[in-house]
Amino acid sequence: MPDKHAVIDPITGFLDRRSCLHAAHRMLAAAESTRQPLAALWIDLDRFRQINASFGHAAGDEVIARVAGRIRMVLPSGGHLLARMGSDEFVVMLRGEDRPVAEAFGRLLLVTIEQSLCIDEILIHPSASIGVALLQAGDDALSLLERADRAMGEAKRQGGGRLEMAAGEVLPGYHGVSLAREELAIEADLHAALDSGGLSLEYQPIVSRDGRVEAVEALMRCKVFGRNLTPDRFIPVAEKSGLIIRLGEWSLLQGARFAARLRDEGRPTKVAINVSRAQLTSPEFLPALHGALLCADISPELLELELTESLAMELADVVQDNLRRVREAGVGLAIDDFGTGFSSLSSLKDLPATKLKLDKSFIQVLPEDRRALAVVKAATRMGRELGMVVVAEGVETDAQRQCLEEAGVDALQGFALARPMPEDLLLNWLKQRNSP
Amino acid sequence: MTRLDTPSMPSVDGVLQQSIHDIDIPPRPKIIDQIRAEMNSDAPNLRGIAGLINLDVSLAAGLIKTANSPYFGFGRRARSAHEALTMLGLDVTCRAIAAISLRRAFPNSAHYERFWHASASVATLSGWLAQQRRVPGVRADDAYTYGLFRDCGIVILLRRYPAYQGILAGANLDRDMPFTAVEQAALPTDHTVVGCLLAQNWWLPGEICAAIRHHHSLLALVEPVSPLKMPGRYLVAIAQTAEYLLQQLTGGSRTEEWAKLGPACCDLLGLDDAGLAEICREAEPLLHLVE
Repeated sequence: MPDKHAVIDPITGFLDRRSCLHAAHRMLAAAESTRQPLAALWIDLDRFRQINASFGHAAGDEVIARVAGRIRMVLPSGGHLLARMGSDEFVVMLRGEDRPVAEAFGRLLLVTIEQSLCIDEILIHPSASIGVALLQAGDDALSLLERADRAMGEAKRQGGGRLEMAAGEVLPGYHGVSLAREELAIEADLHAALDSGGLSLEYQPIVSRDGRVEAVEALMRCKVFGRNLTPDRFIPVAEKSGLIIRLGEWSLLQGARFAARLRDEGRPTKVAINVSRAQLTSPEFLPALHGALLCADISPELLELELTESLAMELADVVQDNLRRVREAGVGLAIDDFGTGFSSLSSLKDLPATKLKLDKSFIQVLPEDRRALAVVKAATRMGRELGMVVVAEGVETDAQRQCLEEAGVDALQGFALARPMPEDLLLNWLKQRNSP
Repeated sequence: MTRLDTPSMPSVDGVLQQSIHDIDIPPRPKIIDQIRAEMNSDAPNLRGIAGLINLDVSLAAGLIKTANSPYFGFGRRARSAHEALTMLGLDVTCRAIAAISLRRAFPNSAHYERFWHASASVATLSGWLAQQRRVPGVRADDAYTYGLFRDCGIVILLRRYPAYQGILAGANLDRDMPFTAVEQAALPTDHTVVGCLLAQNWWLPGEICAAIRHHHSLLALVEPVSPLKMPGRYLVAIAQTAEYLLQQLTGGSRTEEWAKLGPACCDLLGLDDAGLAEICREAEPLLHLVE
């Protein structure tokens, strides 16, 4: 957004450093007043000094001009800012773009810049280090650009040819690595897992009092480059990054396919799949659910969705509407971790759920904790009165099992009954149980 | 979108009642799982993977052909599955195997022959376009794979709901409503969702899956904040343009999609009318190469 005082760099046609600061200041004020996001990318060519030294400044200028052309070529339309900040440094400010778009654009820039350049019959292989920062409360133009510059410096320290996001709050995390960075690493692992077959499901049986397998709950496993990531680490990152929708859809079809396999093997068993808030609030949730049923060719009764108590009680219309339509489609609904949220009895009575799963925190203190037992008994009576199957989760000992059976709980799940198993193992387990 | 000749639109109830349950939708080919397991191990064994591929002669032949295709432009020719694997790398090999397996996963039927031929044509033209336009961040083989998988949801829906043929015809001819809105008015899902689920299940890359999911969405192509990142938008634009070229060159597969999405696609690919006419001329000989 050049104004009449703006100074244009003759080689690139971008704003120069000083004009950039003015323009950035105006963009930032506009973004703050309209509450629009704003992203700054600081791009620094790797080994540029070497290019100048080896091939001369004329060739160096040509490289700069061609790289600038490439940046301009991939820049989305929409009044963004392009500036040359130094001999081999550029800034792009993206108006109205949040993290995914800014990061994707940065990565696109990386691959675009890396295409080799032929200058005076010499083949040059440029690469860049890119730092990306997003507008935060309290930022001014300078601090936003400084954070992008620092992130670029980090990309350069790590060998160049890469992109780094400016970390927001830096909190202590695993292995002394900052939490923000740890999360980015997990996010990258999740992308790799989704693209390279690193995800799988294990299934834990839920066994009725009469010994029948009432259902199996699908639990997600993630293995990337020989390393296992535990769900307590990757699920929160997946939720934060939005990847949970893709993970959730992948589980829906994978779980539905296993339900078809169990049916085809003569062991028809309901498969329960966890769904997240992001899925349930998405307009694409029901088409995906139906798509999974259709691809797997199973009747809806063979599928059950598990959602946490707080999600089930959420009053948002889209959630309640989706829950109702899930039930109308004939798919079961289970309320997971019951007792840890804040259910109101009036919401509970209207909920279209078919199953209540009592949280393991009540179960693990049994049989000694009489007050917990009283809660379990009361919740069981209430659930059954409301027409739901009541399940106790996290049953680890025979004493707990016996106590829960006496309390009238319909079905149990936990290590005392069976561990989570991969498909083939579970199928064998089912066959062995039924054999005389 | 590929058109099949069809009768009139059926009722919603009719469609749902016609659901048939004796057809199996293709599970992920076992070989993909075996290669993925090897990839995720500490030390992938290429020779072992080549051995697995060699157990299936036509798969091995298809892979060698892929490695020698002009999309890669390797200086040497692969003569064995092991050489093809070394040249392509594990990731690209998996995508190539998915592409080779896709058609085999559905039983041969004359009914779908035109559909597959059109998909193969769109795929070939897409790979060529990605090379020809030098689209940043999009590899020609990815554009090819995308072109092949983009509409695979249609075959699944056709096999589940015979009446889908009528819905498809209606969606192809609708000038105003988005294609998927026409489908969802009659069905609880649509071919982009189903195709995306299959692609995710077959471990295709996220950009390809997202581009399958949103390939009828104008907003996803043009809005600054969109579920499609730039490479995904380019993929959609490339295949849509490929479909347009196919329609121009063969006179088949008439749909209204170009009227809805064409300008956005041209904008993304930097094509004006003259440029479009030029690539149309250049593309013609390629159609003879489609098998």
